[in-house]
This record gives sequence, structure tokens and C-alpha cells, in this order.
Amino acid sequence: MEAMRVPPEMFRFTTGERAELYVAILHAFGEANERLETALGLDDVRGRLRSLGRLDPLDDKDLTAALGSLRDWRLLDITQNHAEDYRTADEYERRNLQYSLTKRGEAALAGVVHAMGVLASTGALQTAVLDAIADRLGELVAQLGDPGVPDRRIFSTLVELEGHLEALRGNTKQFNGELQRLLRAEGPDQETFREVKSATVAYLQEFTTNLEQRAHAIANRVGLVEDRGVVLLRHRALVGAELPPTSGGDPAVAWLELRRARWEGLRAWFLPVDGGTPRVQQLFVVARRAIIALLQVLDRITESRRRSTSAAADFRELARWFAVAPTEEDLHLLWSTAFGLGSARHAHLAHPDPELVVSSARWVDAPPVQVSALLRSAGRTERFTRTGRVRDVAAVKAARAESARAERAALKAAWDRLDTAGGTRLSRFGRLDHEVLERLLDLLGRALAATPDRHGVHRATTGDGRVEILLRPPGAQHEQAVLRTPRGVFTGPDYDIEIRTPGGRAARRPRGPAEGAATTG
Amino acid sequence: MSNLANQLVIAEREEVARAIRLLLATPLIGARTAPEAFDLVRRRREPVEKWFDYYCGWSLVVEPRLGYARLAKVRVADDPTRPARRHRTGRAPFDRRRYTLLCVVAAELLGVPVTTVGLLADRVVQASAVDPVLPPFDTSSRAERMAFVDALRLLESVGAVDVVDGATESFVDSADAKVLYRVDATLLMRLLVSPVGASQVAVPADEVPLRFTELLTRLSRERRYGDTDEPASEVQRNLWLRHSVFRKLVDDPVVHRDDLTPAELAYLSSPTGGQLLRRAADQAGLLVEERAEGVMLIDPDGVATDNRFPDDSGNAKIAALLLLDVITSAPGPVAVEQLRTEADALLGRFPKWAKGYRGEDGATRLVADAVDVLKAFGLVRLDSGVVRARPVATRYAVSRTSTDDVEDES
Repeated sequence: MEAMRVPPEMFRFTTGERAELYVAILHAFGEANERLETALGLDDVRGRLRSLGRLDPLDDKDLTAALGSLRDWRLLDITQNHAEDYRTADEYERRNLQYSLTKRGEAALAGVVHAMGVLASTGALQTAVLDAIADRLGELVAQLGDPGVPDRRIFSTLVELEGHLEALRGNTKQFNGELQRLLRAEGPDQETFREVKSATVAYLQEFTTNLEQRAHAIANRVGLVEDRGVVLLRHRALVGAELPPTSGGDPAVAWLELRRARWEGLRAWFLPVDGGTPRVQQLFVVARRAIIALLQVLDRITESRRRSTSAAADFRELARWFAVAPTEEDLHLLWSTAFGLGSARHAHLAHPDPELVVSSARWVDAPPVQVSALLRSAGRTERFTRTGRVRDVAAVKAARAESARAERAALKAAWDRLDTAGGTRLSRFGRLDHEVLERLLDLLGRALAATPDRHGVHRATTGDGRVEILLRPPGAQHEQAVLRTPRGVFTGPDYDIEIRTPGGRAARRPRGPAEGAATTG
Repeated sequence: MSNLANQLVIAEREEVARAIRLLLATPLIGARTAPEAFDLVRRRREPVEKWFDYYCGWSLVVEPRLGYARLAKVRVADDPTRPARRHRTGRAPFDRRRYTLLCVVAAELLGVPVTTVGLLADRVVQASAVDPVLPPFDTSSRAERMAFVDALRLLESVGAVDVVDGATESFVDSADAKVLYRVDATLLMRLLVSPVGASQVAVPADEVPLRFTELLTRLSRERRYGDTDEPASEVQRNLWLRHSVFRKLVDDPVVHRDDLTPAELAYLSSPTGGQLLRRAADQAGLLVEERAEGVMLIDPDGVATDNRFPDDSGNAKIAALLLLDVITSAPGPVAVEQLRTEADALLGRFPKWAKGYRGEDGATRLVADAVDVLKAFGLVRLDSGVVRARPVATRYAVSRTSTDDVEDES
């Protein structure tokens, strides 16, 4: 934004001893303008001043002089009114002059009103504003997608959006200003400040909750609108705006330029074009920093109220006590009492089950805790931790070891039983234990799942790779193999089968695999 | 789902219990020195705060942003075996000089947000010079500088001062050392936990030694239990009984019944007292051992303690355990002389024990150190050359039946 240059003398009326009168007069004109009275005569001005609460008498000369000054500063225009009937020359002189606000006068008045507004107002961060921005953007997306929506609606939505953005900017600016003042201020009335500050912390925390989600939603919608075309948006809004004609050139150019600038402002807040940090992010940072700073200030206030200056005095007094304490032990006692920094001290050895001993027993009658025998004999301990909780696991371990051993033995037996020590027929197994059959089925399944090589031999190993099976399809006989187990009968094609187990005992041959076709690897 | 919920409840219970015991061991936990412990306390702050407040009347302040948690352990100390210690190998206890300097330094630091070691030393010199009770501080003496550094290092370790540049240790070698500190005045003030400031009970310096015990009591007087002058209300009395009993229980290795006042004893023996004791211990992950002669809370994990016994960390502790066997098996009190003979035998049995115990009076020193260990755990009393076992001592006695032998786990 280029430097602002206010026309000279524009705000002259706000200073000097008659400033109050000038402001009141301009205010009167402003009021009249709102009622669509654009020109006021001398008596009208006086009447309006009175209705605004200025009751002290004001003679014509002073009033005329004041109006004259305002005209000199180009805030008022004087026109002559010839339309009325004047009965006397005096009356004509008094009443033929009409005053009306110039553009500059309007601006000057607006400036003063705004300044007063800023002074009186407090900034606020409202999540409602953010929500409103998101809502308007959402509406724009919908409206742009629908050619049936009148341009006026787009115009009004856009104006609303800009209004909310303006509110966000203004509020943030003011709030930030206030926040910085609050952080600087060390009021004489600490209680009030404490309250204001803690309230501000709560307020900020409230605001920052979900701030990121909201900002994200807005950024998303900005993107959506741009997908539909911002140029189109501006164009349709321009049509909807129905700008009045003015004397100096086409107002549309300036209007569009302003819209473009505002849109850029929106992007700067939520989705910067250059991919930089969105301003709303800075808002977040400022808020967070302020929360921390305020909490620290609060902390300091609390602390200082509690024992501020006396703390130093306490330390000095303690130093004296330490200097003259009677014994070494007293030093340590004073340290513990005043500073309370010492550790607790507890035993760590306990009975495995403390409930076992009744509480009325004497220590001497209760069983002693288990102190490492190694500690007594060799002067070192095997580091029992959590002695109280450890269960006796020896029995469990033994039982587990036993069952694992049995399992291993059963498995070994099953493999031994299955080891064919050379090729055989499936039917040769004849009778099997159920568990052994399960092993066999597992192996068969693995073998059949494997693709046969070019001789039609299926080859597979168990998961651990220790047992290997070779399977060749049954001959032309199509005989059925029948295996019996205590639980039932298994039938299937009679494959040529060879199972090799680790350390396979080629010497011992299972029941008659003798004349099975001798297969080699 | 319910399984997950159960898991979470168990996890929370364990974390709360651990946080309580961590704070018992270290009443000031800094986020920088012990990030995990601090994080645990921060997360479980509410139940932990309540536990301390209810049972002990101790307040816990957690400062998530400033990065420390402070448990204000208020009680009149009666155990001199937990001194401030130097931050050096050996961790020798603070002596009179160091304690005095610590306080003067703390007082001077309160006034300045940032300082250097040189400026601080100057201020201490001036402060000592104007106070007739304090000995002058002489920066030209290496021993003095060492004491000064020890005091500063303690403040550093608790986070009350923060070294921005340089190392405090360098001041020992040269008084011109450049070390820059930032001071945390709030934390500095929080180092003092006594409810009454020392300056408020100030007495003339020459009376301090005579009235020392009284001063300690006056420092710890808390208004909420009622003044000693006027009779306290029933509510205040009950509150005081609960808090005073639990302060001893959670802080001391063993509480013999004769350590308690009749009122405290009655409270602890009442059904309410017993119930609370069990609940408090359960929440803190401690075990209760209650016997006819007293009560102790045991921390099987050894978290809430500065020291362990029985333990093999040091010859004195092993000697303590073996001498305790002698003491508990003797029919009556044992003379220190007698223990010395035993110690001689031990030194013969363990030829590798530290050189420190090898000299002329090695056995004497070993006995002294061992008895200190036993005293620290409330196992014995020592008066005028005679060591007396306290009832609790027999819980470490040699097992009387062979089946109690420790089995080898591996």
C-alpha cells in the first residue's frame, strides 16, 4: 500500500479551542445526510446542534465564522438558495446561504467517527467471523457453479465475505495491540490485572481451539472458488453491483481493482500465493506466545504476592542459622526441614506374600525376608528386583520343559514311523496312529501343492526343511491305498512315496516297504 | 474393548504409582535432567497431586511450561542421614560452609535475572561482610571457591540457575572464570518448602544454637492444623493425625510404634487408619509390612529410596549386613568394641575390600560406616558405645530353616 497522504487541513477542525464546535457542526451535517437532507441553512444548523445536545447559546456571528472556517478547509460548500420567499432583506441575508458537506468533509467526519470508534472499542478474536468467512466462500462456490443464480446474489455474498474479512483484520489488529499493551502493563492493582490476564488466557485458549481446522477449511474453499474462476466471480459480481455512473471515467476499473486487492488479502490470510506462512498461522503463534507470556506473568504475580521479598530474607536468615547450628547433624536436619529436597528411604526386600504373617506378630517371630545368600557369603548379590511380586516359577518351568520334551519325542517317533528309508507305496503304511496320519497328511498336502517336475515327481519339505517327501503318481493300476487309524479309515490313490527324515535310519525299514519301486533323487 | 480399557486402567495405575514414588525419591523433578520422570508426573499429575494432598498434606506443583515438578515435602526432619550432597564423585555431604554459602548465594541470586559467576561472588563477598554472623567469603582461597562452586552446582542441578555460557567448575581454578547464569527466581523461591519463612521466626544469633529444635518446629508450623496455643478443632486434629502419620510412613524406612505419639498410634491402629494405610500403599505401589512393634512401607522396585539395604554397593553395606547378624543374634546390646573384632575377621575374610579399611584403624572405620548404614535404615540405635538392635532388625536375620535358602534362578 502506498503511503497515505491526507489532504492538508483536513483535520484542522479537530484541534484548537473551538474544535468541539467544529466537530459538533460536522456531526450535525452527518446526521442530516443520513436523513437525506443535504443542505442546511443557518437556523437548521443551530436546531440540529441543539438536538445533538449542544445547548449553550451561540450567536449568529460565531456560527457563521465557524461555518466559514469549515468552508475554508474545504469541508463545507456554500450555495445560495433562491427558491424561498424572503420577506425582508435581513431575512434574506440570514437564510439564503445553504451549507452542505463536501466529499472531503464526509471523509473527515468518517475519520473522526472511526477514530472514536477505535478508541472506544476493544478488539476481539471471534471464531464466528472465521466461520462466516468459510460459509460465504462455500456459498460462492455453490453460486458460481450454478448459472441460474442471479449476479446480484453473487455480488452481495462477495460483499459480505469482504466485510467479514475486514472485520477479522480489524479485530485482530486491535486485539493484538491490546494484547501487547496487556503484556507490558504492570498495573498497580495486581488483583485486577491478575483477573484480566487470566481471563485473557482463557479467552485465547478458547480461540485457538480448532483454529487450525477452521483456517484449513477456509483455505480449501478459497481453492475451490479459484477452481471455478475468480475472474468470472469478479465479473458477475460487477454486473450484480450495478455501479452508478460517475463523472470521472469508468468506475468498474477501480472497482475490479479493489476486489482483486481484497481477494489477495484473503489469500494472504489463509492461502498465500507464494506458499509462505498464512497470516492466520501467525495469529496462532501470537496467541500461543501470549498465553505463555501471560501465564508466566501470572505466575510471577502469584509468587511475588506469596513471599517476594521475604524469600531473600529467609535465605539470609537460614544462612545465619547454618553458620551457628550446634552440630553437623543439625545442619542436615535444617536442610531437610527448610528445603525438603531429600529422598524418601525404603526397604526393597519383602516377603513373597506379606499377607501371610499376621500384623500382631512381632518381627522376631515373623520369618525373615530372603536376603541373598550370596551377599552374605561372597559379598555380592544376584540383583533381585521386585522380590515381592515374583512367583515361584520353577515348577511351571519344569512342567513346561517336560511337556516340550514329550512333544519333541512324539514328533520324533512320528517321523521315525513315517521314514520310508527308500521308496514305498502309500498303502504299505497300513495301520497308523492318528497323530502320525496327521503328519503324513500334512506332508502329502505339501507335496501335492508343489508343481511336479518333468518326471511327474512332487517334491516338498516341511516348514523347517528337515523332512523331505517325494511323491510319484500311482501306476496304471489305479489302486486305492487304505490306511487305518484308531479313529477311522483313510483312502486315496496309491502313490509311490519316499520320506526322508534327518538322521533317517535307512537300516530299519518300516513294515515291508521292500518291493516298492526304488526311486532315486 | 473392555480388555483395552482394562489395560489402560492398569497402565494408569502403574504410572500413577510410579510417579508417586519418583516424587518421593526426588521432590524436584526437572524436565531437562529427568525428561521421562517429568513426563510421567506431568501426565499423571491429577491423581498424584490428590494422593499427596490427601495422605500427606503435601502440595505438588507441576509447571509443564517451565519444566519442573515440585513436591513440597513439609515435615520436621529427624533423620540427619539425608543431607545435601556435593555433585562430585564420592557425593560427600554438604558441610557447614557449603550450606551457608548455598543460602547466601540463593539470596543474592533472587535479585538478578542474569549474572556471572564473578559478579555473584562479589555480591556474596559483600553480603557476608555486612553480616556479623556469617564468616567472610574469601575468593582467593581455593577451598572457599570449591565450596562456592559446590553450592552453585546444587542450584544448577535443581534448575534454579541455568548456565548459559561456560562451566561453573572453572571457578575453582580461577576466580576470573567467565560463566554466565540465568536465574529462575520462581524456582529459587520454591526451594524453600517450610510453611513459615525463616525470617519470620528470626531470633538473635546467639540464641539459635540453644533453641535449634524449637526453630525447626516453628519453621514447619502449618496454620491449617490450628495453632498450638488454641485448641484445634476435631477436623484439624484428624487432618493433622493423618498427615503426620503418613509423612513418616512414606518418607522413612520404618516407623516403630514408639516413634509415634499416643494419638498418632491410636490413629494408625484404628480401622480407618489401617484401611487408609493399605489404600495409600496400594495406590503408590508400596507393600505394607505391619508387625506388633511397627509398620513399614516397602518399595519392591527400590524407586522411592536414595539408598538400598541389603545391597552389595560398597563394603560398608556388606559389612553392615554381616554385623547385623552378630547384633541380632546376640542376647542383648552389643558393644562397638565387640563389633570391631568382627570387622577384623571380615577384613580377613574379604581381602579385596577397599584400601580405606586396610590401615591401622580400618576396622574401626568399617564399623562406624556399617553402623551408619544400619542407623539410616532404622535398624539399630547407637548410644554411648553400645549398639542396640531395633525390632525391625530381625527381618534381615539369617534364615532359621534350611528351606528358606535362596534358590538359584538361572
